[in-house]
Amino acid sequence: MKGTQLGEFEELVLLIVGVLYPEAYGLSIREEIINQTKRKVAIGAVHSALSRLEDKGFLKSELAEATHERGGRRKRIFTITAEGKKALQKNHELRNSLFNQIPNMALKLAKLV
Amino acid sequence: MSNNKPLYSPPTLGSQLLRWFCKDRLLEEIEGDLLEYYQIEREAKPKWKANLLYWFHLFHFLRPFALKKIGQNSNIIIMYRSYFKFAWRGMMRHKMQTSFHLLGLVLAFTVCGLIYLHLKFETSYDSHHKDADDIYRIAWMNENPQTRTPHPMAQALVSEFPEVVKAVTFSPIYGPGLTKDVILITHDASNVTHEITDGYFADTTFFDVFTYEPIYGNPKQALQNEWAVVLSESTAKRFFGDEDPVGQRLSFNGMVDLLEVAAVVKDAPKASHFRFNFMLSYVTLKSLPFNDPWLSWDDFGHFNYVKLSPGTNPEVVESKIPNWIPKYLNWSEDNIESLKAGEIGFKLQPIQDIHLHSNIRWELEPNGSYSYLIIYGVSALFILLISIINFVNLNTARAAQRLKEVGVKKTLGAFRSQIFTQFSIEALVTTFLALILSVFVMNWLETPFNNLVNGSIAIENLWQTETVTFMVLTAIFTAIVSALYPSVYLNSFEAGSILRGLKLSKLGGSNLRNGLLGVQLVATVILISGSLTIRNQIQFLKDKDLGFDQDNLMVLTIVGQTYSQKIRTLKSELESISGIGETSMVSNVPGGQFNQHPLYMEENPQLRVDASEMFVDKDVASTLNLEIVEGRMLDDVFAADSAGTAFVLNETAVRELNVQDPVGKQLFWVNNEELVKGTVVGVVKDFHYNSLHVPIRPIIMMMNQNAYNHLIAKFDPNSLPQIIEQVEEKFTEIVPEVDFSYRFLDSQIEELYQEEARTFRLTVILSAISIFLACGGLLGVISIVIRQRVKEISIRKVLGASAKNILWLINLKHLLIAAIALLIAIPASVIFMRNWLSNFTYQAGISPLVYGVTSVGILMLIGLTISLISIKTIKANPANNLRSE
Repeated sequence: MKGTQLGEFEELVLLIVGVLYPEAYGLSIREEIINQTKRKVAIGAVHSALSRLEDKGFLKSELAEATHERGGRRKRIFTITAEGKKALQKNHELRNSLFNQIPNMALKLAKLV
Repeated sequence: MSNNKPLYSPPTLGSQLLRWFCKDRLLEEIEGDLLEYYQIEREAKPKWKANLLYWFHLFHFLRPFALKKIGQNSNIIIMYRSYFKFAWRGMMRHKMQTSFHLLGLVLAFTVCGLIYLHLKFETSYDSHHKDADDIYRIAWMNENPQTRTPHPMAQALVSEFPEVVKAVTFSPIYGPGLTKDVILITHDASNVTHEITDGYFADTTFFDVFTYEPIYGNPKQALQNEWAVVLSESTAKRFFGDEDPVGQRLSFNGMVDLLEVAAVVKDAPKASHFRFNFMLSYVTLKSLPFNDPWLSWDDFGHFNYVKLSPGTNPEVVESKIPNWIPKYLNWSEDNIESLKAGEIGFKLQPIQDIHLHSNIRWELEPNGSYSYLIIYGVSALFILLISIINFVNLNTARAAQRLKEVGVKKTLGAFRSQIFTQFSIEALVTTFLALILSVFVMNWLETPFNNLVNGSIAIENLWQTETVTFMVLTAIFTAIVSALYPSVYLNSFEAGSILRGLKLSKLGGSNLRNGLLGVQLVATVILISGSLTIRNQIQFLKDKDLGFDQDNLMVLTIVGQTYSQKIRTLKSELESISGIGETSMVSNVPGGQFNQHPLYMEENPQLRVDASEMFVDKDVASTLNLEIVEGRMLDDVFAADSAGTAFVLNETAVRELNVQDPVGKQLFWVNNEELVKGTVVGVVKDFHYNSLHVPIRPIIMMMNQNAYNHLIAKFDPNSLPQIIEQVEEKFTEIVPEVDFSYRFLDSQIEELYQEEARTFRLTVILSAISIFLACGGLLGVISIVIRQRVKEISIRKVLGASAKNILWLINLKHLLIAAIALLIAIPASVIFMRNWLSNFTYQAGISPLVYGVTSVGILMLIGLTISLISIKTIKANPANNLRSE
């Protein structure tokens, strides 16, 4: 199926969902992204990525308790699925293996410049 | 819940918006997140900042994933979509009919749109001035009304009438014979010279009354100064490009550095009844050591405009003038009597009406004509009417074919209103498609149309609220009307009986259709007979004997006193060219404007007659082929003639002066202060020196060496190119500073009837469109009717009817309708055209032939259309038609 690739921002969101387990929902994910990466992200962008990840089967979600500060509205708590974990691992390994294949010389030269 | 402190509420509009566009499934969490976020921001930041951030994030949810999917689950949307689908399929199935509908509607919308824009432009004249509703021109109404009144009147009105707030007097710079003078303006610093027309003298208050946008300098102040000149933007550009010219000096007719540029204003918009290129102040004139009677109360020689206090009724001011003004006018008792009696008087013309409603002597520019605009508007409405009727008629005729469809829909639970909605939407699709197409067509026709009516419409003016509303409403109206009948008619049957096999014995709504057909024909007949009558009138004007020769005459014009000597040289040089016959120098050319002054005979000084004047040389009678009925023509061998104290009158002048045997009698010519006494030496037969819109008025001819502007030369048409070449050579040799140009007298006279010619061309086009649409509509309706009557026709044939019988049967009803339409249309057209013809002094009259031709033409066309479409069915073997089923 087309679209099971993990985009850069999607990967970031997926990782953060893992980090925040079991308290990952839209707003907290956005905050964590801002704290960890200093990127400016709109709430809508996070929700959009979450909904895409859920469509791809990398995340699952359920509605939690309603809280006062949300005006009695429930949060949607996200957790990583087995598929999601696999995709993360695949990306991680691919990146490590590629990094390891870079000749030392290339990195050294890069430093000199 | 630990802390139950009250929540900050985010902008209500925002949450409403969110609820409106956001998917229900996602709404709760998104709303929750946004609210929570808002709480945090409100704690830390001022309210406006928090609100801004809230909105920012809200709009970030306008992404596909969060938006409601339209039409996924809504019955209504699915249903409406199906209407559009049906409409589209219906249109595709009847391609011929659809294209005819579209063509008709596009034609009608285009014609209406273009003419609407034209009318709008023509009625918008002078509305750009601030307080335009309160600005009036003072006109002098006597038996030959004129725009010009005395110079001191304007300021006298301001000081003595509380209602008059501001007033201005101005005048174009006139040359001899009161033609607008052309001035040579030179910028010596850069050695640029241009011939500039439309120079004006104006009072210091000009810019208090009229609104002009200043570009450089202060125009109001500029007119206070001697020798200051205000330029229009376009004129300033010709000399100075884009630079600020204030302070530069210009030469006036060779008087070096006479003028100083004091201000530049934007050109008047196209919709102005006058425009100036440069303007000098009366202050300049008055500083000169001359006591010109032109500036006195005696000379009705200036344009006076007043601005009244807001909302003043101009009639109040008008009615006070006759009792007020005699103290200034040095008039005889008789004249003052008739002024007080209202036989003659001053009239305030609203400035915005001048362009369309004023057509008196000395208009600053040729004005438009209201009666032609009415013809345009009525014709456009007729075309629209014809086209709407076509659409309605064809839709109602087609209704019977859709009986089954309606039956099925109703069985499946459609309401009556839904059937109506469906029909309306189908019609709306067509009308709106036509509307959109017509905008393209209008864009395409913008220039041709402007050329046709000499208009200045711009299609982008279409995009104004009222215009768009008007067009959209027309489209909706057309659609609803055409949908109304079929849906009411088809709704009247019960669904069950339709499906059980109800057969419509005949097409419903034939009365309505025939009525509309009649209306269509009335409109067509009026259009056709109208354009034929206009054609007759134009032909009549062309063929009318004007009393002088207008053919093979060339007019060379050199305006300006400085040239009067040179024009004489030119005359003698031209006479030496072979192929040039008689030549004559004159101050005014037939077909142009003439100045006028009073005359009276010495024997009867009480009887004053206003007469046009024309300064002529000895050859005028032979050049124009004027017929001398008494006495002789002027000739400079007589000293009195060349001194300007010998006069030639026309027959009308003699009649109005009520004098027997005028030749040899003494006549006074009242040229303002200067009373010229002379002898009448001859009388010429009346000739039409003005357009045929007006009757022949008295004219006086005399010699005046300094007043010739035009050289009229008879030429041999066989060698015209060589002649023009030689004339140009001589011309540039004698007056190198003036660009060579020439006109032909006959084409100049033809220009007087331009408006008629344009209207004729337009009505011919519109008549053609109306015939095409009416016949096309008839064709469509009849072809449907015939299909319904196939069985009937076949049975008649089996029973022995001949093709002729049947053709007659089918034709008869429609020919009757046409006859009734003719009976209504002809009197209406006669009344309308008689009204139009009353604009002319010389009328061709209404020819019965026009109506004969129109009637026979229409009847034949209808018969032909019907016969053509039905002949196939009639000729067919009846057995084939009866066997089916």
